Amino acid sequence: MRSSPINKISSLLFCVFLLFSCSSDLNFDQVNDFKIEPVFVANLAYFNIPANRLIDDGGTNVYPDVRDFDVFKEKFFTERLKKAEFDFEVENNINRAFVLNMLLLNDQNEVLQTISFTVPSYKGTPNVIKYPTEVFENARLDLLKQTQKIGFVVVIASGPPLNSQSEGNLKLRSSATAYLVIE
Amino acid sequence: MRKAILLCLFFPIFCFAQNRELLYNFTSIPQSSLVNPGADVSYKYYFGFPVLSGISANIGSSSFSAYDLFSDDGVDFNQKVRNVVNKSSSRDKVVTNQQLEIFSGGFRIGGRESRSYISFGLYQEFDFFMFVPKDLALLALNGNRDYIGKSFNLGDLSMKAEVLSVFHVGFHKKLNDKFVYGGRAKIYSSGANATSTKNSGYIYTGEEPGTPNLYSQVISSNLELKTSGLSRFTKDEYEGNVVRDIANNTFFNGSLGFGIDAGITYYIKDNLQFTASVIDLGFVRQTKDIETLTYKGIYRYNGANPDFMGTDDPENVFDEFDKAIPRDTLYNKYTTWRPTKLYSSIEYSFGEARPDDECNCHGKVNKYYKNAAGVQVFAMSAPRTPLFAITAFYRRNIFKKLDFKATYTLDTFSNKNVGLGLAGTIGPVNIYALVNNVLEYKDISKASSAAFQLGINFVFQDKE
Repeated sequence: MRSSPINKISSLLFCVFLLFSCSSDLNFDQVNDFKIEPVFVANLAYFNIPANRLIDDGGTNVYPDVRDFDVFKEKFFTERLKKAEFDFEVENNINRAFVLNMLLLNDQNEVLQTISFTVPSYKGTPNVIKYPTEVFENARLDLLKQTQKIGFVVVIASGPPLNSQSEGNLKLRSSATAYLVIE
Repeated sequence: MRKAILLCLFFPIFCFAQNRELLYNFTSIPQSSLVNPGADVSYKYYFGFPVLSGISANIGSSSFSAYDLFSDDGVDFNQKVRNVVNKSSSRDKVVTNQQLEIFSGGFRIGGRESRSYISFGLYQEFDFFMFVPKDLALLALNGNRDYIGKSFNLGDLSMKAEVLSVFHVGFHKKLNDKFVYGGRAKIYSSGANATSTKNSGYIYTGEEPGTPNLYSQVISSNLELKTSGLSRFTKDEYEGNVVRDIANNTFFNGSLGFGIDAGITYYIKDNLQFTASVIDLGFVRQTKDIETLTYKGIYRYNGANPDFMGTDDPENVFDEFDKAIPRDTLYNKYTTWRPTKLYSSIEYSFGEARPDDECNCHGKVNKYYKNAAGVQVFAMSAPRTPLFAITAFYRRNIFKKLDFKATYTLDTFSNKNVGLGLAGTIGPVNIYALVNNVLEYKDISKASSAAFQLGINFVFQDKE
């Protein structure tokens, strides 16, 4: 008997609850546009050779070294790498000029690319050279992605002989910048 | 892939808060004894409509809404993602709770004059808790180039999740007109658990003068993820239905635990009532299909370092990384504590009324109050610091069997959370609907949190 008005009111209020709610248009398909483009920097290589280790007679000499460089074995990284940059900084406090070659090698030890830097000899003033950024895009990037080893070749130009008492260092510092696109 | 990343970053938008401020002390709903076993609820017997007696869900996040991410406003989606990450902080939390009552019931024990009651039930519960991993989201979105000198904090990773079923038996007794007490024992059966709350470490890239390299790059990691009931799904040979298997584990083959609820109602005066309860003071001993993954160690990245000495010292970045921060898998049983909730309220009633619409054949005067107002507080244990909420409420008896409750709640998620609830009884059928954050309902997509709970019970009282 009394339940009928209660019934009406409660069902009315129920409907109000349901009608209360509206929503702006949401578009969940936007997830498909999701794309992030993080930029990472990392050390690439460094060395510090004291002059007294480069004992030579004053002629032209070559010092090689090859290092494993396996970051491109990581598929997730390699597939999403859209651009890379290498920055190099050389400080020479040795009274000799150098040519520094960096070789990008594949797993067969074949040279894919050579990056070359000319380093003038030390004249008594601070001598830090920042080289122009090496940019890897498109075909050059594809070659980079095949790299499995990095070779360093230090060619010392002729000049005053070096012995175990010689002073100064040849220092390299370098970094890589990786531009990733993840979608 | 991108969906997976997005899910990891933005799972928080589908989250629930556990405060049940509308249900608390709303004693015309039998389920109110789930948030205070000492609630002043009375019935001859009742049972819940199977599966429909208690359904609750609550959507929210403390720093952003679905609208912020998915509005169809022409703004680039990736820009919206960035905006959301930028305005979040690692203190922003995400609390999820969903419950579904499978069955429930209760009956009075003793004679007609007795005021002791037994209740029981089984419900399924899903809990999720996470802090927004802001630093890692920034690192993933932007990389480290623009953050030289910043330590990305791995401690930002803090989450736990659990699916479980809870079988409970409770008792409450109205000792006298002033005092009601009650308690409930619970057996938990956890079908799946993931806990990763004790993480620390950092990812750092800095430029430090005097070091031979351009950058100092360090990853210091102390990460631990404990799982139970989940590791079989990650195996390659698994071919099954994950949802069905988790449901099966939850009800029939879970890790077992035990907990209690307790509560009281005390009438300081006829119209001044104090209540308090503690809910889910308990633990689960995780024993089924357990696996703990750890990544602990320190790794420094230097790049290639030729020494021109003719030594062949292989430098394998990944091997070195794996050696420095090894992935270890342990199979130790572990104990998780349930998120324990504390509630308390003080309520003042006014507007005395008599049920003059019914014949009072026994000569007893059942006066009651049409209005009640008061304050409730809520606290819940959580990683790092507990969650708190404070609620002001007003309850009105519209008709004898139709009650209305309104709440205003201040908490982490919102400072203008208005809730409305209705509970009505038509014959033996008790229906209730509780809706939270109604101010946001004019555009639900902009709500930072929203909740609803509804259910149907059959309640039988003594015939007068």
